[in-house]
Amino acid sequence: MRKQRRITRYLAIGMVAAAAIGLTGCTAGGSGTTTPDKEGNATLTFLVSESPNLTPEYWDAAIARASKVVPGVTIKKVVGENTPAYAQQLFASGQAPDIFAAGIANGLAQKGELAEYTRAEMEAAGITDFTSGTINGKFYGIPAGAQAIPLVYYNKDLFAKAGIDGPPATYSELLDDATKLKAAGIAPFEIGGGGEDTWATTFTLNAVVAADMLTADKDWFLKREKGEVKFTDPEFVAAAAKVAAITKAGFGDKDGMTRTYADMEQSFFDGKAAMYPMGSWFTAAADAKKLTNIGAFGWPSDAGKPAFPVVSGAGMNVNAKSKNVELAKKWSLAFATDKENMDAGVITDGAISTVKGYQIPENVGTLYKEMVAAYDAAVAEDATVPAWGNTTGDGALPPGFNDKMVAANVDLMTGKTSPEDFAKYLDEQYAAAQK
Amino acid sequence: MSTTQIKSSKPLPQGRASLRKRRKSLHSPLHFLLFALPGAILYFVFVLWPLVLAFWSSLTNEDAYRPKTSFVWFENYAKLFSDPAYLQVLGNTLVLTIIAVIVPNALGLGIAILLDRSGWAFNAMRAVFFVPVILSSVVVAVVWQQLMKDDGLINAALRPFTDNPPGWLSDPNLALYSVATIVAWQSVGMCVVLYLAGLQSIPKELLEAASIDGAGPVRRFRNVTWPLLAPSVTIMTVLTMIGGFKIYDQVKVMTNGGPGVGTTSTLAFDVIQTGLSSGAVGYSAAKAAVMFFIIALLSMASMKIMKKREVDL
Repeated sequence: MRKQRRITRYLAIGMVAAAAIGLTGCTAGGSGTTTPDKEGNATLTFLVSESPNLTPEYWDAAIARASKVVPGVTIKKVVGENTPAYAQQLFASGQAPDIFAAGIANGLAQKGELAEYTRAEMEAAGITDFTSGTINGKFYGIPAGAQAIPLVYYNKDLFAKAGIDGPPATYSELLDDATKLKAAGIAPFEIGGGGEDTWATTFTLNAVVAADMLTADKDWFLKREKGEVKFTDPEFVAAAAKVAAITKAGFGDKDGMTRTYADMEQSFFDGKAAMYPMGSWFTAAADAKKLTNIGAFGWPSDAGKPAFPVVSGAGMNVNAKSKNVELAKKWSLAFATDKENMDAGVITDGAISTVKGYQIPENVGTLYKEMVAAYDAAVAEDATVPAWGNTTGDGALPPGFNDKMVAANVDLMTGKTSPEDFAKYLDEQYAAAQK
Repeated sequence: MSTTQIKSSKPLPQGRASLRKRRKSLHSPLHFLLFALPGAILYFVFVLWPLVLAFWSSLTNEDAYRPKTSFVWFENYAKLFSDPAYLQVLGNTLVLTIIAVIVPNALGLGIAILLDRSGWAFNAMRAVFFVPVILSSVVVAVVWQQLMKDDGLINAALRPFTDNPPGWLSDPNLALYSVATIVAWQSVGMCVVLYLAGLQSIPKELLEAASIDGAGPVRRFRNVTWPLLAPSVTIMTVLTMIGGFKIYDQVKVMTNGGPGVGTTSTLAFDVIQTGLSSGAVGYSAAKAAVMFFIIALLSMASMKIMKKREVDL
């Protein structure tokens, strides 16, 4: 009896230990790629990320439209995270799809995992904007659309309730408005994000750095890559100090730090806070609700220069080891430049199209139109700056660094670390993450 | 055509002779090997070989974003033990594991004793306590995150009594204990079931004899029940300890290793973050190898210690 008990116990423990060992080998994804048959028909795998804005129905309809343009292609949709980390996991386990919807190029392109698009290929497809999104000067994604990350969305009704006429023009006006809102019993900012959505906490830092540093020097993060500047330099420490001061002053929605991204968006819609720093995809969510009381502005610098941070050229990366690289590139270009797809991207994700001759559909909401008008004005004045937290090409943050920054930013916002220590920590982590 | 002659002092009936022959041939090493082979192949492919690969990787600077990999011997291990962030992770995991071992075992034993009787109500209660065990830990974590967030249901219930309810998941001093509580809560059901099985296997005559000798409930528990439950205690302690060291899902969903830098980061969470987010595959493999050795050593040590107090019937 004793022997039997011992055997059973060892078996049980062996099974659990085996599960523990298996931890290092967990992967996900799938492959369904086929080589073209005699008629040139082939199946390509396409990794997409689904969200409240980018629903399964959106992707299915968009895929079907692009497949009509490139006959013979059957797309197998693979749903997962569209992040460089997930992509490298798929490459490491031999499960990388043929095409990735969103930008995962940085790191993987340098390693030779992604196929290059030539400028001629893209010009032929109607792409006009070649100003960003390169890696070592080459394109691994299609710069057909842009996102502004972040702008500040504000509730006009709550501003009026606090006696504020319009969006602030300078940083001191922004602080004055926040003080008035707080005095009126309104949380000035919806900032936070908890658990898996902790990434959402960094939009304030992204905005302040863009306004205070990048409007003065657009190439700051390119210089950081080369080691010519550091996070401990006074300009970055000063920006971090502003972020810390905002939360210390109680200008944030105090329950925001544990909310999910979806909860934060809902909270702003519900009027629990007056301002919401977020990416331009938010316009789609607001317009879908037919809200007319929301406006947008760029985070203002001390001197009154608003930040319009933009990222483009990120998506439709093609696996260099695909059995059908040329076909995958052709389908990707068709997907990126299809009018209906671009319309759908505008309506569902607030994307800003940069394709030649593209006209915004009539039925888009007022907030999107307001945002695009501001983008056009910023482009005309050469006032756009890189959306540094989301840049995927040259000047992007090194792989893994963003997670460290997000965690440290929470410590900065909650007063657990000082701006100086925060900057020092970022320099250490940046050095460790640079390959 | 050939015939086989069975040598026997006494002729056997034909059926018995062929049975003996079959039994004899089943005892040959080749047959054992054939039966063991499928399992051995699976074990080699899915356990041993990945283990060897992971250990090999831990001796390299393999990186998902670097084209070339070179051998660095034990550099990753040296870096590991001089990394304060890793020591914090190790500390977090130890705290979580201690809670994940003590709380569910103590509660599980207590509840098992209360439920160790017959009747539909007690059967129903057993099912209720077992429900969290069969739920996905991700589902459990999502539900508890919604309950424990700053404006969640728990704090909504506390707001009539205090303006500043605790930040269960946002306070760096509390978050680790919040996660540990959920892990412990989910393990209680398994402990209840195992301890109930242990309690029901104790011969009633022994308890009756102790009663006749004048032992009260406490003494009966201390001198009869507790020693005879020792095998169940051993296995549950080791299993909950291994589970504690492997905690990942709840941390990923509820806190993502935060709030802030590493306040609730565990060994398993750190292994995955290092390997998949940062792409440092070699360094991550070294962390996984250390995790494996810690679990193996502690499991063996606790089994050896606890086995001493086991009593055979």
